[in-house]
Amino acid sequence: MSTLAVHDHGVAHHDDHGHEHHHNQSFLSKYVFSMDHKMIAKQFLITGITMAVIAMILSILFRIQLAYPDKTFPLLTTLLGRFAPNGRISADFYLSLVTIHGTIMVFFVLTAGLSGTFANLLIPLQIGARDMASPFMNMLSYWFFFMASVVMLSSFLVQKGPASGGWTIYPPLSALPKAMPGSGEGMTLWLISMVMFVASSLMGGINYVSTVLNMRTKGMDLWKMPLTIWALFLTAILGILAFPVLVAGVVLLIFDRSFGTSFYLSDIVLNGVQQPYEGGSPILFQHLFWFLGHPEVYIVIMPAMGISSEVMSVNSRKPIFGYHAMVYSLIGITVLSFIVWGHHMFVTGMNPFLGGVFMITTLIIAVPSAVKTFNWLATLWRGNIRFTPAMLFAIGMVSFFISGGLTGIFLGNAALDINLHDTYFVVAHFHLVMGSAAIFGMLAGVYHWFPKMFGKMMDEKLGYLHFWLTFIGAYLVFFPMHFMGLDGVPRRYYAFTEFVSMQRWLTVNTFITWAAIMAACAQVAFLYNFISSIFIGKKATQNPWESNTLEWTTPVEHLHGNWPGEIPTVYRWPYDYSKPGAEEDYIPQTVPFSQTMSSNQAHDFEDNPKGLEELNKFNSTLKANEQVK
Amino acid sequence: MGFRKFINSKTLLSFITAFMLLGTNLLMAQTEAAATTGGQTDAPQVDWTGVAYYLLLFFLVCLGVAVIGKILKIYDLTLKIQGKKGMKWNTVMAVVCLVFLIAGLYGAYWSFTVQGSMTLPEAASVHGVKIDEMFTVTTVLTMIVFFITQILLFGFLFQYRHSDKRRAHFLPHNNTIEKIWTIAPAIVLTVLVVFGFFTWQTIMNTTDTKGDINIDITGHQFAWELRYPGKDGVLGPKDFRMVSAANKLGVNFKKRSSFDDLQVDTMYLPVNKSIRLNIQALDVIHSVYMPHFRVQLNAVPGLPTFFKFTPTITTAQMRTQLDDPKFEYLVYCNKICGGGHYNMQKVVRVVTEAEYQAWLSRQKPYLNDALRKELHFAAADQPKTESQNRLALNN
Amino acid sequence: MMAQIQKDNDRLDLAPKKFNMWIFIFTSFMFFAALTSGFIVYSGGKGHGLNVIMPDAFKYSTAVIIISSITLLLASKAAKQLQFAKQRMFLWLTFVLGVAFFAIQVYAWYVLTYKMNVYLTDPNASRSFVYIFTGMHLLHIIAAILLLLNTLAGTYKNIPQVRNLFKMEMTSIFWHFLGIIWIYLYVFLLLNQN
Ligand code: HEM
Ligand SMILES: [Cu+2]
Ligand SMILES: [Cu+2]
Repeated sequence: MSTLAVHDHGVAHHDDHGHEHHHNQSFLSKYVFSMDHKMIAKQFLITGITMAVIAMILSILFRIQLAYPDKTFPLLTTLLGRFAPNGRISADFYLSLVTIHGTIMVFFVLTAGLSGTFANLLIPLQIGARDMASPFMNMLSYWFFFMASVVMLSSFLVQKGPASGGWTIYPPLSALPKAMPGSGEGMTLWLISMVMFVASSLMGGINYVSTVLNMRTKGMDLWKMPLTIWALFLTAILGILAFPVLVAGVVLLIFDRSFGTSFYLSDIVLNGVQQPYEGGSPILFQHLFWFLGHPEVYIVIMPAMGISSEVMSVNSRKPIFGYHAMVYSLIGITVLSFIVWGHHMFVTGMNPFLGGVFMITTLIIAVPSAVKTFNWLATLWRGNIRFTPAMLFAIGMVSFFISGGLTGIFLGNAALDINLHDTYFVVAHFHLVMGSAAIFGMLAGVYHWFPKMFGKMMDEKLGYLHFWLTFIGAYLVFFPMHFMGLDGVPRRYYAFTEFVSMQRWLTVNTFITWAAIMAACAQVAFLYNFISSIFIGKKATQNPWESNTLEWTTPVEHLHGNWPGEIPTVYRWPYDYSKPGAEEDYIPQTVPFSQTMSSNQAHDFEDNPKGLEELNKFNSTLKANEQVK
Repeated sequence: MGFRKFINSKTLLSFITAFMLLGTNLLMAQTEAAATTGGQTDAPQVDWTGVAYYLLLFFLVCLGVAVIGKILKIYDLTLKIQGKKGMKWNTVMAVVCLVFLIAGLYGAYWSFTVQGSMTLPEAASVHGVKIDEMFTVTTVLTMIVFFITQILLFGFLFQYRHSDKRRAHFLPHNNTIEKIWTIAPAIVLTVLVVFGFFTWQTIMNTTDTKGDINIDITGHQFAWELRYPGKDGVLGPKDFRMVSAANKLGVNFKKRSSFDDLQVDTMYLPVNKSIRLNIQALDVIHSVYMPHFRVQLNAVPGLPTFFKFTPTITTAQMRTQLDDPKFEYLVYCNKICGGGHYNMQKVVRVVTEAEYQAWLSRQKPYLNDALRKELHFAAADQPKTESQNRLALNN
Repeated sequence: MMAQIQKDNDRLDLAPKKFNMWIFIFTSFMFFAALTSGFIVYSGGKGHGLNVIMPDAFKYSTAVIIISSITLLLASKAAKQLQFAKQRMFLWLTFVLGVAFFAIQVYAWYVLTYKMNVYLTDPNASRSFVYIFTGMHLLHIIAAILLLLNTLAGTYKNIPQVRNLFKMEMTSIFWHFLGIIWIYLYVFLLLNQN
């Protein structure tokens, strides 16, 4: 019965019957082809974590090459066979590793793993819906993602190895199978996998948008939605607008590769042999790619921003500072992110005036980002901060976002980008602002909503260990890279042995590799914690973080449809923490103002004149009573 | 119970040290052995003891962590049994945040001074100086923001750590301050944008500045080819259809201006002369990157581009400046182009005008003997066209 | 018990599903917008105009797809008035017109390739775009025809009228959208044909 305590509108007759109709689902329909959004969220999460571990191992492999370019590791030959002859990763395979690492991290982990998990879990739970608009499409979305993952990984089994033109797959390199080994079947598999991936993302995104717009519970107007929902909603919109453009670019690439068209190809002599392509424009692909690519980086970071906002508010026991500003800045980012793609192309020989325009739009987008940062700081100010592992990861996200966002100001400046483009400075920038920040947002979400997903608590101490090792490790890995970039060290280099001027960075590279290995080992603490907590973790209570949002009003035991009985009605915004005059330091969204007369403020009734009147009446009687005393 | 665990951990600790000593010895021996035999054996043997050593080491660390965890738990329990409050993890974390802030600030400072001093020397070109000025201004501004925000972030964490006695300050918004911190970054960014926009325009919009010297640089897998104009100062046109074994760039010898073109190995540049680099690629995208001159532009097949710049510091001057007698300016490739991407370099020498002229007079024409022969063969197969006549005349 | 009923009610709430279709249409529109923008960037940047007078077949296919939209409208109207035989008849007619559209487009390819020497692998990729536009549109048409058949199958299976109307509506949205997209592409090509 405790599960009902939060509902104030007394639906007296429920629950006793709740379990009667528990039709026995088969294993297949419960765990595999489930249409329940909570199960699909878990599927996305576990697949995402698996892909993350794989991508992390790939990164350690190529970091070993960078740290010890002249040493041989016979073990590598044993593990990788023809890709690492004589104990050293081959140059081509090095590029494959980098490419697949980037692709998996950006798309499979930080897009599907992050949005897929938390949009599926939180959208119905936090807006008060029983499931997604179309549960069937939702299931398809997961299975397309799963197949895309399998195809992507299967490219390691191909004779010539996986795609190796970088995650941006610029043609002609990716379009000419003879240009490098990875541009053969490996690239074909990459393209197939990405098409499936986009299908998955679109099906997911369509569902998220439609659910948020159509299926909110009573009282949940847009301005009462938690920031997580806002972020996930806008992320889905970005995906819907951007991914089709990538498909268009990829379709043209497929035609160039397989049917002999020349959209992207022109005047090519490969190994002394003229190719029959004329008139194409490689820059066209870059335009199409980055029209997706830049929104994509915000697709990655916005859910992390939303999660961090929510987690920081809950754990500072303070309302998020400037809720409206937070939403407007998210909207601003969403809109602006479509007109800045050219900043990835300053030095392609694009019209310099166009470059200037893109530079202006790019630096404008830094403003909403700055606003968000300051608002997070203001949220912490005079809070009552609880350091749960989730809170630590949310803070780590803010720290990384600051560090990485500031270097964006250098790169967004076309004049400075001349010398910084494609150097390690860019690597440092996006690993901090996107890689680390988004991963930390995701981990914050996992630690925070683990009780909701699995009904168990994760171990806090292991969480602390995991956080500090990863946080310090990430800074140790990426901070020095800025200076390598400022020394003009290019990215995607197999070894820094051939240039005399780069050899002095070898010690730094060795250091970075060991920091990376340490951070990677720290993930074992997380994996152990995650898996063991599912089975032997402490049982979770219904609202372990004393949080306001709707998902904590559902029972710990999952049921299809989320709430037994009626879906609760929402009366207030989700951030009434530490309200003066309230009994507890939190007031769930389901508590009507009539029950919290002592803590109501004029601010609560901005668009509700009737409520305001009542408040004034209440206050005046209060005053009158005092005077009588 | 707690005591027994403690003993356990102590024995474990000594075990670990012993193991590490042993393992390091083993490993050292292994590397030496590898070094001596490395050259001879083609199929290197996997050093399983080394692998096992690392794996065991890792397990030991995990074990250590587990033991420490258990000890902490028991300590916590005993505290609670004694009626005390138990470990205050929240405070511990707040302190760690503070420690991280201090260590992190020091680390950033260290990184700036030590690694910061390993970055590129001063710009060796006219526009590069402007870029460096921009860079300095941007760095100062962003670093101020960086240090302030990080200090506030971790400072707040420590200052406002949880206490049961206190409630957080309910502060949902404050429009004034929000306006301030929207407008302030907007102004700073506007300044940077305006500054940057004009710098960018002057660097790239150089149609009016004439390039004194035209140089052709062409990327292919995996090298750069250079072509200088001859006495006429004009580079002959190219056509990818004319590429052959001897005519690697596909220079069009139907045009007169091609005949005196020079093929060179090293990019010699006279100091203080405006250079126009014509940038092309034969197969895939490459990128001409000359970091010392702050020059970069992609080499795109089918899309010729150019970059104009003026070198200001000769190689000799830079050598004394850096106290490095072997210093060379270089062209790198900076766009992923295949397996050899990491080694596509070309030496650039900035020299005085006199040295440049002397060097230039020693260079061989692009139209070398092999190419002549090839073109003659071609001529024999075809009815003589006017251009081929001219070619013959020129011989 | 309550929960079950409530849930079933929620399940039957078809409005969000219809909304899904609208969003899908939006993504599809973005896809074609991207392709046409690609065309503009390409032909503008490279100075390669199309220089092809569009074959007459496109005129006929345009007429066919417009008529098919009308027949589908009539089918919807019949469905609303519970005249199921009529609905079925018009659905079949729409199906036939859809297939005819498909055939005419393929015929147009034939004309382009064999009569007008405009090839898919033309060195002037503006011309390749003609094939890409129509080909990608035809892929959508295949999907639409499958959807249509599904609705048609429904009319034989005695499903509840709510579902019948729902299916009709989903099919109509998609079908009319494809008609509009085709007109957009055709007009785009006409405007750029020289
Ligand atoms: C303050 C706002 C930001 C600005 C002004 C900015 C600017 C830039 C610029 C100009 C580049 C291109 C650098 C180059 O290739 O030369 C770049 C690269 C990149 N940025 Fe940002 N950025 C910002 C924020 C972000 C955010 C929030 C993310 C991700 C969440 C992100 C992710 C990336 C990535 C992944 C790349 C590298 C793409 C590649 O592989 O080439 N950036 N950024
Ligand atoms: Cu971007
Ligand atoms: Cu290259």
